[in-house]
Amino acid sequence: MKKWLSITLGIVTAIGGFLDAGTIATSGEAGAKFGLGLIWAILLATVMAILLVEMVGRFTAVSQKPYAAAIREELGFRFYLFPLISEIIAEGLLLTAELGGMAIALSLVTGLSWHILFPVAVVIVFLMAWRAPFDWIENGPAIFGMLMLAFLVGVFVMGGPSQETVQTLWKPVIKPGELADYFYLVAAILGATISPYLLYFYSSGTREEGWSGKSLLLNRITAFAGMGFGSLGSITIVIMSAIVLQPQNIQASTLGEIGLTLATPFGKIGSLIFACILFVTCLGAALECVLALSYNVAQGFGWPWGENKKPVEAAHFNLILVLFLVIALLINLIGIEPLQLALFASTIIALFLPLSLLPFLIIMNNRQYLGDKINKPWLNILVLLILLIAFVVSITAIPLELLSGGG
Amino acid sequence: MNANNDDIFSIADIIDSQLESSDRQNVGRVADIEAEWREDGTLVLCHLVTGPQALSGRIARPLRSLAQRLLHDRFEYSIPLSDVEKFGPTLRLRRKARDYPVGRSERWIAEHILRWIPGSGY
Repeated sequence: MKKWLSITLGIVTAIGGFLDAGTIATSGEAGAKFGLGLIWAILLATVMAILLVEMVGRFTAVSQKPYAAAIREELGFRFYLFPLISEIIAEGLLLTAELGGMAIALSLVTGLSWHILFPVAVVIVFLMAWRAPFDWIENGPAIFGMLMLAFLVGVFVMGGPSQETVQTLWKPVIKPGELADYFYLVAAILGATISPYLLYFYSSGTREEGWSGKSLLLNRITAFAGMGFGSLGSITIVIMSAIVLQPQNIQASTLGEIGLTLATPFGKIGSLIFACILFVTCLGAALECVLALSYNVAQGFGWPWGENKKPVEAAHFNLILVLFLVIALLINLIGIEPLQLALFASTIIALFLPLSLLPFLIIMNNRQYLGDKINKPWLNILVLLILLIAFVVSITAIPLELLSGGG
Repeated sequence: MNANNDDIFSIADIIDSQLESSDRQNVGRVADIEAEWREDGTLVLCHLVTGPQALSGRIARPLRSLAQRLLHDRFEYSIPLSDVEKFGPTLRLRRKARDYPVGRSERWIAEHILRWIPGSGY
């Protein structure tokens, strides 16, 4: 029974991909501007995320090697540096953005400036990453993340989308001059959802949970349930945004505006629920970010790592974790808005996405690690397709960001 | 000529492999290898090398001499092949973590930095 509780690993992993500050913003904006016209992109991203998460989980469960370790062992130190450096830059920024998202959530409740609350967010993430066992890190955000279902309830309370809005599902209405915006959001949704850090995190999480070659069914279900939950959350934000914000011509350019989607059906309690959702998902994403980074470095260099160890028993790992939080504090001093930061980080991730995903083609076909659990040919074809999509996202991310004025 | 297949390793199998001490601690990865020509004309692998200089050499050769000028071999470490108990994706070594540089720097970080942060378990 306890074994099946580790399904929460999937949910907390999905929070980082689908429901962090950046993706809440992107989904809100997608619904406000294009109705349901971008849900296909979320569904596509969901399929890609399920496939990648299942593979990386299977790899680690069978070989007992986390993803970062496998990249270095299979492709060498020089190759490993590319995903490593892009992750350090992108996740440094993203971590700052998520901490900012937590601070904004706290400011929605307390009325204080989020700038003052930023260090509070850092302390909360530090305390959890420093001493909480891995169980807490997955269960806390995963259980409170269920609040996300408020968006689904909201859709029913509001009576669902209008006939006209439903049609945008397969026939998006793109006004003249908004085409670049539309494709920018497609790239942002795909790029931000299948960000590699969730793969580093999930892969390390399966080791923390002690999964083995016998856990493959659990892995498959966790990948489906977790990513499915994330996808549902993201899609219901789009729908609520299309129902509530689009008719009022609100662009959903701030997290506060997206909060209106819950305030409209539920009043004051809705605003509070939104603040809680924002806080919990950003907490989950911040933990995932800082741990993914520390896992990545420690595993790549072959140092001891793990959340179930005391900090002194994995000293390099915990030192890196503290350093990244300090760096996030410093980046925050520059004073860039968290949402801008999240979008910028997503662009960097998108740029290097093919390099971070390329190792899948190689490691998932290595019998030395996987025995007879290597990828079936059809899965390899799907990995190639994902790589192709990642490549297109990578080369179009910057031009589209410039054309659309950054969303 | 009847060498057992299990005993044949390519360099790629050894370079970048995880090193594990006898007390089951991760103690770094193989950054480079050292081999020597014997009189009978064979090339014999004799040491596994770890450390920042060897690693910088992996990125580009000139970086290695630059790193050497900066670090003066302080963090470089050669592990004799006789120290390796078991080969595979993880190389098991015969000595304890504290006998290897990564194990020592783990302790140094714990003793000098982490102990000042409450809850470090020091």
